[in-house]
Amino acid sequence: MLDETTRDAILKVRDEAAEKGIDALFTMHREKSHLMRIGNNSVSLNTSEDLTRLDVEVINGRREGSYTIMGDITGPESVRKALDVAVEKASVSTPKDYDPISRMVEENAEEMLQYDEALETLDPGEKAVVYREIIEKTGSHLNFSGSWSSGSTEVLLASTKNDNLAWRIGTDQQFTCVLKHPEKKWELASFQTGWQAGEVKAESTIESFNWLLPIYGNPGFRVEPGEYTVLFGSQAVAEIVGMAIGTGMSGRGYEEGMNWTCGRKPGDSILSDKITVIDDPTDMNTFRFGFDMAGMTRNVFPIVEKGRMMNLFYDLATAAKYGRKPTPHSGSASVVVSPGDGPECPMEAVRGMGRVLFIPALHYTHIPNRSKGIFTGSSRFSAVLLENGEMVSPIFSSRITDTFQNVLGNVAVLAPWCTSVNGSSTYDRRMPEAASVPGYMVSTGVKITDSAESF
Amino acid sequence: MRVENLERPVAEGIARAMNAGAGYCDARFFSEDGSETLVLYDGNLEANTASFESGLGVRVLYGGAWGFAATSRASDVSEAFEKALANAKTASMLVSIPLNMGVHPAVTGTYSSPVVQDPFDVPLKEKLAFLEGLDERLKADFVQRRVVFLYLQRMKNWFWNSDGSFIERNLLNCFADSMVMAQDGDGQMQRRSKSLHTPGTGTRGWEMVTDPDLWSGRAEGMKEELSQLLSAPELEYGRRSVILLPGQGHLQVHETIGHPLELDRILGYELSYAGGSFVTLDSFGRLRYGSDKLSVSAFGSVENSPGSFGFDDEGTPERDYLLIDKGILVNCLTSRAMISEANHTAGRQVFEHSGGASRSTAFYKAPIDRMTNVNVLPGNDGNLSDIIAGTDDGILLDNPTSWSIGSNREHFHFGCEIAWEVKGGKITRVLKNPTYQGHTLEFYGKLSAVGDRSTWVVEQVPNCGKGEPNQVMEIGHGVPVMRFDDVITGEEK
Repeated sequence: MLDETTRDAILKVRDEAAEKGIDALFTMHREKSHLMRIGNNSVSLNTSEDLTRLDVEVINGRREGSYTIMGDITGPESVRKALDVAVEKASVSTPKDYDPISRMVEENAEEMLQYDEALETLDPGEKAVVYREIIEKTGSHLNFSGSWSSGSTEVLLASTKNDNLAWRIGTDQQFTCVLKHPEKKWELASFQTGWQAGEVKAESTIESFNWLLPIYGNPGFRVEPGEYTVLFGSQAVAEIVGMAIGTGMSGRGYEEGMNWTCGRKPGDSILSDKITVIDDPTDMNTFRFGFDMAGMTRNVFPIVEKGRMMNLFYDLATAAKYGRKPTPHSGSASVVVSPGDGPECPMEAVRGMGRVLFIPALHYTHIPNRSKGIFTGSSRFSAVLLENGEMVSPIFSSRITDTFQNVLGNVAVLAPWCTSVNGSSTYDRRMPEAASVPGYMVSTGVKITDSAESF
Repeated sequence: MRVENLERPVAEGIARAMNAGAGYCDARFFSEDGSETLVLYDGNLEANTASFESGLGVRVLYGGAWGFAATSRASDVSEAFEKALANAKTASMLVSIPLNMGVHPAVTGTYSSPVVQDPFDVPLKEKLAFLEGLDERLKADFVQRRVVFLYLQRMKNWFWNSDGSFIERNLLNCFADSMVMAQDGDGQMQRRSKSLHTPGTGTRGWEMVTDPDLWSGRAEGMKEELSQLLSAPELEYGRRSVILLPGQGHLQVHETIGHPLELDRILGYELSYAGGSFVTLDSFGRLRYGSDKLSVSAFGSVENSPGSFGFDDEGTPERDYLLIDKGILVNCLTSRAMISEANHTAGRQVFEHSGGASRSTAFYKAPIDRMTNVNVLPGNDGNLSDIIAGTDDGILLDNPTSWSIGSNREHFHFGCEIAWEVKGGKITRVLKNPTYQGHTLEFYGKLSAVGDRSTWVVEQVPNCGKGEPNQVMEIGHGVPVMRFDDVITGEEK
């Protein structure tokens, strides 16, 4: 955890800045990260980082400037230096045509509900043991890859607007294992997530591989372009819903005519009435975070209710520019999609539906047309052709190019249970993020626009 | 941390690792990894940020496996070596093919990006005045949104390894974009943009940013094309030729030649994240990747590019070589350990030298196989006018709006900002919302025209993502105008 010297240094300089009338937000971010990467049944990288960053954001009337430093931040001098640079940048800056909103820590916060020292200090050897067990029990003639990221993230926010402090420390982990047939080239994947040591289980991955391995002995099936009923797995559901929310409910995109929701207003029906989405920072399937990166307190925030548009996200800059009330979305939302009333088992859900494509995850999705809500991406891991709820054969890489309105508008069945899908990126600084989504979703009339002759 | 205080502890750390049985050890110290970002959005300075990072990264190969550790604290230098060694020892618990760095002579050298005026030395006021001047030129009654973006990087780093290598590098990159946007009659947002490119030669300081031929002089053209898009019909679905301007062609090359030719992807080391490659070790010297008009180089002796950096992060000097020679795949993007493994796996020597493509984006990231400059060599099919004149039914495309690629890079789908319809050798009208898709080998097999040197520019990519932990890398692509025939374009209703 952040030592007292560092914390005291920030508070000392914060107080000095407040006395001088400087409008500043200080954000200290410390990560202890570990990642083990697997390739070709070996550990290909075993890496540890212990990094501390300080962001200082300064508002001077209508001018703004910010500075980030990573290095030795052990005393007031380094904090003061970062503040001086940000102040200088703000003073030289060009004024905006609107009044920026000051960042202010709304409430004191001390959060460590999802902190597990055992995970923060997990012996990397334990990771190697789990991967070895998976390889040995599933079959070392197959090719295994994967990565297992774990660590802690500590954030401290303090502003010159008041004496409040917001502090959070949490641990998180993201486990991936990919199995590839060395000759046939198909790929199966298993994902696990959590915040405590011991949550990642070799048996869980072995079981998921063994469920699909028999069917992957069959020849691959090339899907002809056309409309299909698709059984999406939780990874795909999280990806589609996350992109739909990002491109549809952003306040800036809405104000500026870019969103696929433009022309609609709160209360309008935009998706299937089976779809309810909230931002819930208290949901244990997400990584709990009680404040955003501008210091605003986060609470449950309705986004889509039974298919109806509810609220848009307004970060501070957008709210200031368009004269709206800011929402606590300077940072990621904790997307929680309500479960449905389908059967427990996804195969039961599609029994009697004839030919169905089971696509657990999408690869490399993108937005060719945000105004129309068109997205595109391809199937990859563990994709299977189903006939009346029975697995028939693996399917070759197939491309979906469709709209959010269609795929999330024609929802036939949703799982009655939710699962956590880890969406954390290891780009830049560690910042855990997860969505809670139904375990599966069946959509009808999904457009497959291309397919390969290989996996 | 200061480099003069590090030389001894680094040398001692490397010696300790080697004495403990390591097969290889290297260390990279960044005394400065700085950036500055300025973004004008509708004239408001929405980003006015700078960053500074400094620290040491240590990599140890032990028992055929890599361990890595990094620290930003001067007091933890010795501990970083211990941690990297311990991580490597743990990694060696699970090894099927031991990695091997081979035997290499020590390399000593320095490299500095060619720069006349360091943009970090240009006063902020002067930089803002230049950007605001461009923003002013982007204004028009019908333009609803304007963006002017500048991103500067300056890195000063030192490298040591257990071969005895010692390298100092001073790298500088300037990236810039400008964009205008407006809603068309259907309420859809259309846009035109221009990124800062280089001619491949010259220097890459502030003088490059302010050269109107490379970026800022396109303001009027962008507005004119946006105005045409606002009343343009949508591209209809169908098969036709596509002519890719470098603004689009470079991303096509990046995604479907660059990434599939990274050796770590070919060997399966990216499967859990970025994906694999349809290329195998048996493909080299045999696979017809494209028509005989397709020749592609790595590095390419391009002096002005973010993909030119003197030495890679294993100390290998830049090497200019062909990846594809007249349509035949002959080489790929390689690092020392990956060529060792590839040759071992193939049971023969597939690769002779490291391609100098081992790159790391920061002191706290371990090097992986990356693109450098991946360039399509200019052809003999004339200039852009000549290629248009030789096209019966096609579209001319510029700048990506979306890109989605199959996991083994075998198929792709791109959206672009603008299409110009070409009928009977002439441009007839502008079309909006253009997309095209294809399968990589089939697509390059239908490469029917490659523009001459007059059409060739180096497009800069500031944000290529790969690896776990993820790394964002700067890359260059020298590309000419290219025409591909019989391509699926538009979306079927």
